Amino acid sequence: MDAGFLLQLVINGLVIGVIYALIAMGLSLIFGVLEIVNFAHGEFYMLGAMAAWFLASQAGFGYWTTVAAVVIVALAIGVLLYEGLLGAVEGKGFERSILLTLGLSMILQNGAVYLFTTTPKMISNSLTYSQVVLGSFRMPTARIYALVVGLLAFTGLWLVLHRSKIGKAMRGVSQNRDAALMVGIDPRAVARVAVAVGVGLSGLAGAALAPVYAVHPLMGFAFVFKAFAIVIIGGLGNVSGAAIAALALGVIETLMGGFLPMVMVDAVAFMAMIAILLFRPMGLFGRGVRV
Amino acid sequence: MSERAAESPVLRMAVLAAGLVALFLLPWLSGNEEYLMALGVSFALFAVLSSGLNLVYGYTGLLSFAQVGFFGIGAYTAALLVMDLGWSLWPATIVAGVLAAACGALIGYASLRLSRHAFAIVSLCFALLCGILARDWVSLTRGAMGMPGLPAPEFGLPGAGTWRIERPEDFYHLLMGYAVVALAIIYRVMHSRLGRAMRAIKLNEALAQSHGINPLGYKLLALMLSAVLAGMAGALFVFYLTIVDPSVFDFYYTETMLIMVIIGGPGSFWGVLASTAILAALPDVLRFTTDLRMVLYGAILVVAMLLFPGGIGGWLNRRRMARWKAATVGTVASDPQPGNPPPGSS
Repeated sequence: MDAGFLLQLVINGLVIGVIYALIAMGLSLIFGVLEIVNFAHGEFYMLGAMAAWFLASQAGFGYWTTVAAVVIVALAIGVLLYEGLLGAVEGKGFERSILLTLGLSMILQNGAVYLFTTTPKMISNSLTYSQVVLGSFRMPTARIYALVVGLLAFTGLWLVLHRSKIGKAMRGVSQNRDAALMVGIDPRAVARVAVAVGVGLSGLAGAALAPVYAVHPLMGFAFVFKAFAIVIIGGLGNVSGAAIAALALGVIETLMGGFLPMVMVDAVAFMAMIAILLFRPMGLFGRGVRV
Repeated sequence: MSERAAESPVLRMAVLAAGLVALFLLPWLSGNEEYLMALGVSFALFAVLSSGLNLVYGYTGLLSFAQVGFFGIGAYTAALLVMDLGWSLWPATIVAGVLAAACGALIGYASLRLSRHAFAIVSLCFALLCGILARDWVSLTRGAMGMPGLPAPEFGLPGAGTWRIERPEDFYHLLMGYAVVALAIIYRVMHSRLGRAMRAIKLNEALAQSHGINPLGYKLLALMLSAVLAGMAGALFVFYLTIVDPSVFDFYYTETMLIMVIIGGPGSFWGVLASTAILAALPDVLRFTTDLRMVLYGAILVVAMLLFPGGIGGWLNRRRMARWKAATVGTVASDPQPGNPPPGSS
């Protein structure tokens, strides 16, 4: 077994894992604060990647300006999403919110297919073929960048959740809504920030990963089911649980992908989810979420 | 269903029987028009799928995305048994239904103990995984190309030779006949003690439990029944298409089913059937591309959830309730019809 190959697989796995984590953490955060499962979450990842493709290939933006621009727009879209749609159904029935976001997902996904067709698009700029070479170890620069962006976002989110006032309020609401209300936390303000952060993270993931993979309108759909599995494995509403499960899944998938057929790799997340539900239904790190 | 027909059992049976005879005779009445037969097959298929979903979601309150998974598993099971093992379609259809129900039991048992949230997520992941497996497990499923050239099924009638099912009107009779049986089963379940227990679970699970109803058992029952029916529908439907490929797991089916149930009104048997009939014919009226149609369906879903989550059926039920109330206030009226239980609004 070649150590360089193994290291390469692990780093590839971490890149995927970090991206899974960005999406799953946002999903988990929104669920924790609003008790809404956002089925359109994957579409914001797709929109982020499409926007990044447009900015990088058509408007000639550099990598970091692209990422920054996409995140700012995604945060704004998150606020709009809360004010326009999610806020209206918050607390009015779980099914209603799922079907609402599912409808939104259908509009965004099929609208994108209609406008841009399903042909995959590649970003081609100076980053496309550049590599970091260390002895026998080679890694495309774009992947390293994606890893760095992901880790920065991780740290940022952790600091916000644990150090800032609004982050503490978000955790408070997701731990105990009534108690949070009693100590004077405004649930609407908290929910607005949670949705903005969730959508922002999704857009960030799309923008960070756009130079690594092909960009197409169905990419969010393919991704989101793994994000759902991760959220269940980590414990519904548990943000750090989602992050750990995501990293683990990314690495395990990539390691398995080095040796096993693709079918098994795609099934891992689902099998793990079913196993967790059977033996540890509150999630690996979770408090139980019961209705 | 007009109001009067719903009130008199004899008249209701007569209307139903006339409707069934008309459905049976439709191929001859319409002069075997192929287009109409195709619409009929599509309606029969979606009627089974959406009514099954109605039982699970509208009655038992479980939002399920797994229907399309059961449908596709049934389709692949039957196709593989017929093509690879040389089975006849009829036992293969039974096995397809059983396997779909087993999958339903597995995901249902695993996720329903946690919460309805978990169930919705797991059922979605299950359906997506099925599609991925159909595409990637090439040694079993032949991958993205699927299995073309499924043979025309034959039905041995005792003493009357065999009925070779290959013309559009044959498939129309096969699928419509299956749909009528499946819908009758669903109707019976909905209007029995089982259905009332399911409704009670949806309305107030804790209260239902305190009355000695075991929620998990009834939820699993509803899920598995819908899985059997969807699996068998899938098995029959792909032999009409003569090809099975990963597109039987397409999310398009899920979205269409959901729209049918939402517009018809979750928990309303006839409402869902009516919306199924309208929406099965609609794609040919709205000559959009599929993408735009799905955008439209998505918009319908968003608007429906924001403004009238009970659908048309829910709205009709509300009106009926209002009339009952008016009648009760105006005169000292008798109790509402026992045969029409009050609506389960979500």
